[in-house]
Amino acid sequence: MENIIEVKNLTKEYKNKLALDNLSFEVKKGEILGLLGPNGSGKSTTINCLLSLLSFKQGNIKILGKEMEPNAYDLKKEIGVVFQEIAVLEELTVYENIDYFCGLYIKEKEKRKQYIEEALDLVGLIEYKKFYPKQLSGGLKRRLNIACGIAHKPKIIFLDEPTVAVDPQSRNNILEGIKKLRKEGATIIYTTHYMEEAEILCDRIIILDKGKILAEGNKDSLKKLADIEEKITVEIKEIKKENLEKIKTFKTVEEVNINKNILTITYKKGKNNLEELMKFLKQNNITYDKVFSERPTLNDVFLNLTGKDLRD
Amino acid sequence: MFSHNFKYTLKILLKNKILLFWTFAFPILLGTFFHMAFSNIENSEKLKIIKIAIINNENYQKEELFKNTFTHLSDKKNKDRLFSVTYTNIEKAKKLLEEKKITGYLIFEKENIKIKVNENGINETILKNIVDEINCNQDIIKTLLNKNIHYQKIQNIITQNEVKLNNITSKNLSYTMIEYYTLIAMTCLYGGILSMFITNYKLANTSSVGKRTSISPIHKLKMLLASLLASYIVQIIGIAILFMYTIFVLKVNYSSPIPYIILLALLGSLAGLSLGISIATLIKKDENTKTGILISITMLGCFLSGMMGITMKYIIDKNIPILNKINPANMITDGFYSLYYYDTLNRYVLNIVSLLLFSICMILLSYKGLRRQKYDSI
Repeated sequence: MENIIEVKNLTKEYKNKLALDNLSFEVKKGEILGLLGPNGSGKSTTINCLLSLLSFKQGNIKILGKEMEPNAYDLKKEIGVVFQEIAVLEELTVYENIDYFCGLYIKEKEKRKQYIEEALDLVGLIEYKKFYPKQLSGGLKRRLNIACGIAHKPKIIFLDEPTVAVDPQSRNNILEGIKKLRKEGATIIYTTHYMEEAEILCDRIIILDKGKILAEGNKDSLKKLADIEEKITVEIKEIKKENLEKIKTFKTVEEVNINKNILTITYKKGKNNLEELMKFLKQNNITYDKVFSERPTLNDVFLNLTGKDLRD
Repeated sequence: MFSHNFKYTLKILLKNKILLFWTFAFPILLGTFFHMAFSNIENSEKLKIIKIAIINNENYQKEELFKNTFTHLSDKKNKDRLFSVTYTNIEKAKKLLEEKKITGYLIFEKENIKIKVNENGINETILKNIVDEINCNQDIIKTLLNKNIHYQKIQNIITQNEVKLNNITSKNLSYTMIEYYTLIAMTCLYGGILSMFITNYKLANTSSVGKRTSISPIHKLKMLLASLLASYIVQIIGIAILFMYTIFVLKVNYSSPIPYIILLALLGSLAGLSLGISIATLIKKDENTKTGILISITMLGCFLSGMMGITMKYIIDKNIPILNKINPANMITDGFYSLYYYDTLNRYVLNIVSLLLFSICMILLSYKGLRRQKYDSI
């Protein structure tokens, strides 16, 4: 598949502190690439370098086969950005905000009008188009922020943590909107520190930490990097020590922990573990309330790679 | 794209209540305050004749131009009489001054004229200005004589000199005029808030909206130019409203040629615009801090140029003249002042050129920041 973005050896320093360490990656046409990492891992810095807003020490960035520079206006026409901070004008209504930013790309009034309506529909703001930003909730403002960045129908869209501090309804709306944009043919670079979002949305994920790429691939290939295959959590009333020791002897068990009434068992392999455990609990008359079985998450991958939690 | 940016900048500026307050409402409120506070003082002082003494020595008798001017300005038949002059010796003059029976006295020495006053105030300033003006004209006449210009021509110049001190009469001299001049200067410079606000919206390192506009496919300077033109127009509208309010509501008589007033207001606004751009680009602080800095600079400039009393302008002019030479508020105030009080345009032109230079300097200082497209951090 055609490479839309090519980044080679991108290195960025802030006052002698390394922010991006020799990053190299590509973004394929039509895919959603996720940049996943904790706060300060270099996600936004990467995007700002790609957009030529930040200077960098070394490296090469090509977008649509051309060198990305501040005055590469033909490339900028094809790009839409939704920044982490809300970038709207408080003095303009929802409609006027979208019209203003869209008007920086699209000259024709009629075409612009149609694009604005479509953007409003995409983010679910049609009924709010005469509202001023200060009249909108945080979630609705985020949706407006997105509409302002994508109304001109760009081929490449950068979304920098668009769902930070957003209510669940707005989050679902935003994620659905992003899926629609991809369906319409856009290539999307999506940064987040919410692993669930990356899992739901992204075709490929790059895990970043301290400006370095730790791992890259689709969610299934990344999950293989986690040490565990399954984690079972049981809310238990009481369990004897000898029974805990017996569980530890199960073939695929990696670790057993009990914290107050919560029993957590992690497995190296993931077949028939739940069935085996249930059988054991019944045979030994151990009463329990709730049981959860989880497959490894990207957080487990991150934990395995860095020794710390993604949310830290 | 130019019209798109221009239209939306107008909309943004005219919908921002804080900006409208500082550029439109605040000057009108302050003007009203000046009117209420000073008009009574002025009325009570309007008919006062300034009492002075002149040491009637040999040197004074040789100063024809001074003699004629003071005789004319102290003539009881003159409806525009300004002075009441006592011709006396130095001891009596000193005593009169000590007893505060006169504002000051003049001693004519061989080479120069000394003005002795005890206080700084409007009367002392008028006395000093008149002596300076006569001195200046005398120098011109001497120069002409040295160049063998015909006597009759010089005589004509002397005759013209009598009206050269334009409007300096007890009837026309307005104590509060300087307040209105500084008020206009303040409004011109407050226009900088508009340009600062707009510039912040165009630079990636100053606002999130700036980041968004920086990644658009339009040249930054072109976009900025359209927006600054809109902010300049809003600023001019603000000045025009203030002028109309002071002329038609407060009945202020600027009594200067309108084109000169307009030119001064346009250049004053340009100075404010450039000051706003430079604060936006050179100071790396949040918008509120920048606004505070701009308002502080403007208020200090207006204070030094006489907003709280002409004495301050006189003190600065006398002791630290460089401060008022680089003070844009003083350039505007002094421009109006010179239009009102002088027939010649020399001082006015100097102020016009100074404002232009100030604006160019500010734009040049900001140029690097305005052109910059990549940042070390944002």
